[in-house]
Amino acid sequence: MTLVFEGLLRELAPQALGAVVRRYGHFDTAEDAVQEALIAAATQWPRDGVPDNPRGWLIAVAARRLTDLLRAEQARQRRENTWTLPPVAPDDLGDADDTLILLFMCCHPALPPEQQIALTLRSVAGLTTQEIARAFLVPEPTMGQRISRAKQRVKASGVPFRMPADRAERLAAVLHVLYLIFTEGYASTAGPQVYRSELSTEAIRLTRIVHRLLPRDGEVAGLLALMLLTDARRAARVGVDGALILLESQDRSLWRQDLIAEGVDLVTTAMSTGPSGPYQLQAAIAALHDEAPTAADTDWPQIEALYGALLSLAPNPMTALNHAVAVAMARGPAPALELVSALAEDKRLADHHRLHAVRAHLLEMSGEVDGALTAYRLAAQLTRSLPEQRYLNTKAATLARDQVRE
Amino acid sequence: MKYMILHHASQADYVAMAGENSAVGRAWTPEELAAMGEFMGKWTNELVESGEFVDAIGLAAPVHTRRLSADGVITDGPYAETAEVVGGITIIDCASFDRATEIAAKLADAPSPDYVRARGYADIRPIMNSLDELTA
Repeated sequence: MTLVFEGLLRELAPQALGAVVRRYGHFDTAEDAVQEALIAAATQWPRDGVPDNPRGWLIAVAARRLTDLLRAEQARQRRENTWTLPPVAPDDLGDADDTLILLFMCCHPALPPEQQIALTLRSVAGLTTQEIARAFLVPEPTMGQRISRAKQRVKASGVPFRMPADRAERLAAVLHVLYLIFTEGYASTAGPQVYRSELSTEAIRLTRIVHRLLPRDGEVAGLLALMLLTDARRAARVGVDGALILLESQDRSLWRQDLIAEGVDLVTTAMSTGPSGPYQLQAAIAALHDEAPTAADTDWPQIEALYGALLSLAPNPMTALNHAVAVAMARGPAPALELVSALAEDKRLADHHRLHAVRAHLLEMSGEVDGALTAYRLAAQLTRSLPEQRYLNTKAATLARDQVRE
Repeated sequence: MKYMILHHASQADYVAMAGENSAVGRAWTPEELAAMGEFMGKWTNELVESGEFVDAIGLAAPVHTRRLSADGVITDGPYAETAEVVGGITIIDCASFDRATEIAAKLADAPSPDYVRARGYADIRPIMNSLDELTA
């Protein structure tokens, strides 16, 4: 299938699914019907040409398939398929918002995060089960079960196809899922690759859709900006040997200036129009990194201040750790080491490789080589990411070698 | 006076019209379906021209049905494959029950496969103007 068709189908998939579920219900079966319609389109359109109304074509074919699937299901069961009446509220939103409603369904609070993510990728992003399984490094049947369990849970929850009443709260869940998809693609938690870029690309695409539907929401804009500003550095983040390259050593000429400009523009507009949320603050930090011509030019005092604001808004041990790094860069390692020691008391962080990696860097900065060596080695033992492990071991080895030379 | 003409069809009829063999008979050919569509269009247009047409609607396949019972329980698609239910209605405003019957009788000429024609029927029902007619 050519990229043109793939892009078109990806765009239309959630709209078609939304339209079919809105009209006929049956979220789980409708999802299968739309998948079959997409497969039909993928074979017929390149051969016969794209129909005049591709969205209508998909909806019509999916509705036909839904009828068939329901008939088969009802013939098999013939038992009472009963449920309780969902509360009905006026819903004057047009078809354009079906994609958003679908996102709310997929990120339903009844689902654990891994099911929210899998269902979002399948139903909204239109990825196949195989693609999602590959991205998350699990066997296809495992992912298939995860998706079908998620669909059954959504169906069992009896959630009506309309905008949820607690929209602001639910939007936060949607943004969190998109953020998780992005970070899973950017810094994979397991396995040999530093990032699985297709997940990041997919997260950006979905966040763009949400931003288009909710252009005035500052946190949606902030999240999109954060993704763009982080993704802009993608090419510079990994060396030819697959090893991780830290921000300070990256070749900044490889950074995507178009993404940086778009991200900076988004976050600047968002921050000037309302109170700043956590995604906006993180995007602002990423923007300061991206706009520095060299690592030495980085505006660390400003970054320290932004991390401080982020900490007071959304306390989180990982944010606190990054705050400590900014303190070190702005004011030297001594005050930062104090902060890190306090953080080591936090059970969530005590065994996290990043805490020990940061501590190692700070000790190295203050010339405490023995302590730095121990911390680097401990961090290397604790990480599950192979490129990170390689990086940390290299740091330890370099330090040990320099120590012998002296 | 207003009357409602009810056109009946089963899930199996919908399937056959969509081009598949079904529990009641063989699939319709695209030509048969087109001929039926043309006939129905002409039949309806004549009513529009005579000023007797009020409204017409077609219903989605019976499998897409939710039945709400008095205790609030909702059942999905309660109809068996061959159970005949209303598939569409035409509302007319004409001089008499006999005139309404005359209009509906023209449906007997609708082109369709023999097995459909053999058991086809339509109901004609007077529409009430108000609840008062119940006790009149």
